[in-house]
Amino acid sequence: MPQSRTSRTGLVLAVAAGLIAAAPLSSGRAQAATTTTVTQTSTTGAPPALAATPYMGWSSWSMQSSSYPGLNPNGSYSYLTEANVLKQADALATKLKPYGYDYVNIDAGWWMDDAWNEGFDQYGRQAPNPGRFPDGMKAVANRIHALGLKAGIYLPVGLEKGAYGGGRTPIWNAPGCTTADVVYPDLRTTNGWDSSYKLNFGNPCTQKYVDSQAQLIAGWGYDFLKLDGVGPGSDKSGDQYNNVPDVAAWQQAIATAGRPVHLELSWKLDRDYAAQWKQYSNGWRIDTDVECYCGTLVTWDNSVKVRWNEAPAWSDVAGPGGWNDLDSLDVGNGAMDGITPAERQSYLTFWAVNKSPLFSGDDLTQLDGYGLSLLTNREVIGVDQNSSPVARPVSTMGDQQVWAARNADGSYTVALFNLAAAPEPVTAYWAALGFHGNASVRDLWNHQELGDYRDRITEALPAHGSRLFTVRPGGSPLATTAYEAESPDNTLTGTAAVFACATCSGGKKVGNLYQGATLRFNDVTVKQAGIYTITVDYISGSSDRTARVYSGTGSGTSLAFPDTGDWNTVHRISFQLGLKAGTNTITFDSGSWYSPDIDRIDVPQAAV
Amino acid sequence: MDDQPTRPSRRGFLSLAAAAGAATAVGGFAPFTASAAPVRPTASPLLAPAQAARNQLWWQAPASADTMITQGLPVGNGRLGALAGNDPAAELLDLTDLTLWTGGRNDVLQSDGQFPYGRDDFGSYTLLAQLTVNIPAHDLGVVNNYRRTLDLAQGLLTTTYDIGEASYQRQIYASRPDDVVVLHFSQRGGGSYTGAVSLAGTHGETTGATDSGPLASFGGTLANGLRYGAAVTLSSSTGTVGRAGTSLTFSGCQDLTVVVSGGTDYAPDFAAGFRDPSVDPLPLAQSKVRAAAGQTPTALLHTHVADFRAAFGSFALDLGASSDSQRLLDTAGRLQARWRDNVPDPELEAGYLQFGRYLMVSGSRGSLPLNLQGLWLDGNDPGWMADYHTDINVQMNYWAADRLGLPACFDAFTDYCLAQLPSWTDITGRLFNSADNRYANSSGKVAGWTIAISTNPYGGGGWWWHPPGNAWLCLNLFEHYEYTQDRAYLEKIYPLLKGAVQFWEARLVGATVTDPSGATREVLIDDSDWSPEQGPLNARGITYAQELVWNLFGHYGTATEVLGRDSEYARTVAGLRQRLYLPVVSPTTGWLEEWMTPDNLGDPQHRHLSPLIGLFPGDRIRPDDSTPKDLLAGATALLTARGMNSYGWANAWRAACWARLKHAENAYRLYVTNLKPAVDGANGSAANLFDILNISDGYGIFQIEANLGTPSAAVEMLVYSRPGYVELLPALPTAWAASGSVTGVGVRGGFTADFGWKNGRISQVTLHSATGGSTTLAANGGSHRVSVAPGGSVTLRNL
Repeated sequence: MPQSRTSRTGLVLAVAAGLIAAAPLSSGRAQAATTTTVTQTSTTGAPPALAATPYMGWSSWSMQSSSYPGLNPNGSYSYLTEANVLKQADALATKLKPYGYDYVNIDAGWWMDDAWNEGFDQYGRQAPNPGRFPDGMKAVANRIHALGLKAGIYLPVGLEKGAYGGGRTPIWNAPGCTTADVVYPDLRTTNGWDSSYKLNFGNPCTQKYVDSQAQLIAGWGYDFLKLDGVGPGSDKSGDQYNNVPDVAAWQQAIATAGRPVHLELSWKLDRDYAAQWKQYSNGWRIDTDVECYCGTLVTWDNSVKVRWNEAPAWSDVAGPGGWNDLDSLDVGNGAMDGITPAERQSYLTFWAVNKSPLFSGDDLTQLDGYGLSLLTNREVIGVDQNSSPVARPVSTMGDQQVWAARNADGSYTVALFNLAAAPEPVTAYWAALGFHGNASVRDLWNHQELGDYRDRITEALPAHGSRLFTVRPGGSPLATTAYEAESPDNTLTGTAAVFACATCSGGKKVGNLYQGATLRFNDVTVKQAGIYTITVDYISGSSDRTARVYSGTGSGTSLAFPDTGDWNTVHRISFQLGLKAGTNTITFDSGSWYSPDIDRIDVPQAAV
Repeated sequence: MDDQPTRPSRRGFLSLAAAAGAATAVGGFAPFTASAAPVRPTASPLLAPAQAARNQLWWQAPASADTMITQGLPVGNGRLGALAGNDPAAELLDLTDLTLWTGGRNDVLQSDGQFPYGRDDFGSYTLLAQLTVNIPAHDLGVVNNYRRTLDLAQGLLTTTYDIGEASYQRQIYASRPDDVVVLHFSQRGGGSYTGAVSLAGTHGETTGATDSGPLASFGGTLANGLRYGAAVTLSSSTGTVGRAGTSLTFSGCQDLTVVVSGGTDYAPDFAAGFRDPSVDPLPLAQSKVRAAAGQTPTALLHTHVADFRAAFGSFALDLGASSDSQRLLDTAGRLQARWRDNVPDPELEAGYLQFGRYLMVSGSRGSLPLNLQGLWLDGNDPGWMADYHTDINVQMNYWAADRLGLPACFDAFTDYCLAQLPSWTDITGRLFNSADNRYANSSGKVAGWTIAISTNPYGGGGWWWHPPGNAWLCLNLFEHYEYTQDRAYLEKIYPLLKGAVQFWEARLVGATVTDPSGATREVLIDDSDWSPEQGPLNARGITYAQELVWNLFGHYGTATEVLGRDSEYARTVAGLRQRLYLPVVSPTTGWLEEWMTPDNLGDPQHRHLSPLIGLFPGDRIRPDDSTPKDLLAGATALLTARGMNSYGWANAWRAACWARLKHAENAYRLYVTNLKPAVDGANGSAANLFDILNISDGYGIFQIEANLGTPSAAVEMLVYSRPGYVELLPALPTAWAASGSVTGVGVRGGFTADFGWKNGRISQVTLHSATGGSTTLAANGGSHRVSVAPGGSVTLRNL
């Protein structure tokens, strides 16, 4: 559904982080060699019935939202018709189903005419628009099922204003209940567009209304519901826009609807409510619409690239049963998508390492050869669908980013990204993954074993380009020395102070690093001069924390710290600094801005 | 000259040119003409890999079309050059010819008595052509182990990468003997090339192509009448080559050679309107690429490398060993690490100097001199037209030639000055004393020649008059004589020196000054003038001019003695020199005065060091007993006030001044400041080491002077020299002190020197001299008298 677009001026910050929270190590000034321990999140027991892995398929919205010539001949969003949905379903079944794509999702507008006038049944439920869906929604679902596919449908959260009927509209299968009973007396609005009255679950009639909607779509045979405009999120906050009760009601309604229905939440859900989204749904959009609402489906700048900055906060939330939804995957047709081949590859690479649902918004009848090769690369799809954790940034340097996830077999999925507008080399250091020496590298996009690479791999990436590898360590764990931020040997300036931290090694961290405050490690000792890959464990419940880190008298490097999701979770990123033989200082300087809380740093015992 | 100079006749021009010796003296300039068949080496001149590795820079990513100026890599044969992008799937070359200039004589002054300064009237340096080689299957997305290497000593730009099982290599170079740019593509492991070559002009030309070759080409004529042309052909011993429209195609080729050339009908001949009517550039370009394509790739390569190696010479610099960690980084990564860690990277720091030498060898041989961007462009709107700026920029470029052991590369500068002299003399005579010119001589007299701040290759000036500019050009010109002691050269430049002297004889005005003692004296000072580029526009006696004229008159005296000419006039000039006012230290600021007043009339941190020109490149102000202590202190205080945080050429100039003051650490700090990565158009070094000048937020442009001036400052840190005196390691910074050596460094007085050091002490030095000569050599705190026979050398050990 259309949303107001705001211009985005923020840069994609160079984000970086450790894979997952490191296990606490010895506290204090640990001079003994320690080996980085990386724990593996894995699930045990039976997989969930729904969303055991990120769903895959197609959605109608990208084409509806675009002014690309010919897509919406009868006005905005008019692409959504029965004929078009079935045409896309046929193409999905033919071209992509063998690769796991099986959802055909109808987005907003199925109950609207071309002028966007809504239709409702006598119970205040959305009614299919006969102009768009002459055979009705059930017939469409049946046709989709006949192709061996699953059918998805869409609703906004709340009681749409047009369904209110003066409060006298009866609720289906709820004798005595009318629409007046399901909303607040003051008709307070809710959702991202304020297009609905907020549902009042203090009245038992209200659950009945949600049940009635669920029964309707389940009765039609739909397997998937995108519930849109959900808050906190969808650019809204506060009680009026808190739709957690709605989502809980939907989960309950689906449970009794007689058919499993995947519940997907939209859009840009509030990370602070991640536990609730995880409890009640199967997926949540973490960001604004990916579409550009322009002459193509998307543009790189508005708003594909912003996701590199937004995704890290959610890395710990996703798992079987519920996934971080990065929105439509519009990489199938270069002309219509509006992005370069390199951008298309990066788009899918990023979706895969984040284990986002993979649903194309393209015209599947017009996939170009390159688009088809992207969408059907089984090794890349495997990264999205396998049991490994969601990747995190493990190093940052400007626009050159390395993301990684540790796989169950001890290998790593490593993605290189160049977010700059010019070609740049991007290097993944094995030390950032906790080992050194040789590792064999497999190129997943090109299905090629590249052979052994010692300590690092560097590739030339085009503007906005990417590579995706499986890295199998053949070397040894990296011996490192840990230096705790709270050590009394360090120097703190400005507002910087030591705080208790249950999740931190040593139980403490240094925080309040802002506006000129600094943390200086005074006794970082190495035997040989060289350039070292150093890791920092930190906490930042914000996506805009930065620090300049430098050794000795150097100018240092500006680090942008990826969001850890909250102010308890520790993550790790790596960076390179030159150290001289003997004792060195390493300083984290907040400059004119805010830095994350620092738990500790780990310095390899040899330059790697 | 009379008060009202009349326009000289054409006959007058010719005789002027003859008087200047221009007609014969510019033999060094090689116009775009049919060249004799090159001498081809019989044995491979290629360096062994380990030897070549000493002078190589490397990178791990290509440029894109938008980033050619920061990521493109330069090649050049002294006239014809290219910036190459090296994208495996889309090779792009921005091709340039140093003579492809719009504009003209530009000899109608504006109402303010100054010169127009636009791309049409004054003119601009512009691109010759853009060449693309598209190989769609070689998309970066499938490329592994990408690496591009610039071999500075052999003049080779090599890109290697792997796709699947195949390893690919492309080698790009600009051959002077064959007068073409060559792109040679090869592979191992079953690879192949399929794609297309296209050649496009940038001035609205239409490219044509023929199956014969096949060959694509275009020609054109600029609005100023300059004719030019470019052509490309290709060949392969395997696969298929052909033509599709105006593109040349290749398919299934295991090897491929693309040859491109082009040029103009420019001639350094004022009398002929700076054109050579016998040159027809388009057919000439066509014949050159056909001739080169008829050679084997190996013959082309060997011929080029033999020529380039000889030109690059034997200059070697070792500033100490870098760490293994540093060596693992590519050049761009090392720039970043150098800045990030403030840890010296001696091999990078020496490599930066050698890169400067590479630029000079590639861009200053047989054609026009290096302009503000050297030989290289990425578009047709370069900053300040990529012209010849005469108030530091072109001079700084040529500080490098002798210091860095490339004296032959100086010739392009000499030839340029000689070729322009008739026009400069004419324009000065006719226009300098126009009533509107605020700098006009109040004496009403005018003689000789001077220039504007900007000059073009058509005898024209741009922007504002620059009266002392002639003296600064002459300082460079005479210094080259000091380095080479080449009498024939001195004969050649004598008209330039004399014309400049005559200009100042007519210009200087009398003034009465009162010394601190209260005594007054009569002095000669510069007339109404501007100290570049700040303060009042009508200041008399600016330090900049006084110092330059003092040098000019002194050098002229030496020249007359050496050449045995104009002895009477020489006495007159010596007399003028004695009366020249020389600057004093301001009692107010404690600085050497810039405007012949105790008051500071400008920005103390201004980029220009105009009032310190007597410290460097002049050497009237020396940190020894020859210079009064208060003068030395005033110069030091002024240099200190100018600060350590400017950009590019301004840092290089500061570094040279600090070296002259023997302040090694300040000089070094400025040296490495110019190695700061130029992120998002900031001042510093781009990934390709081109020096970037920030223009506005996020936008910077390439200006070459720092690439040459910073290395010159490094030489000044290692060796100070003037005729008869050489001092080793006058300003050796700690970062380079542990051990090092230099071979082939220029020494004024007719020498080159090789020396090594350990822990800051000279272990051994050898002086070579082509002309023979004697000098005092100071090292390790002692001094020695050294005499070298012509063509000989002398080695001193146990100093």
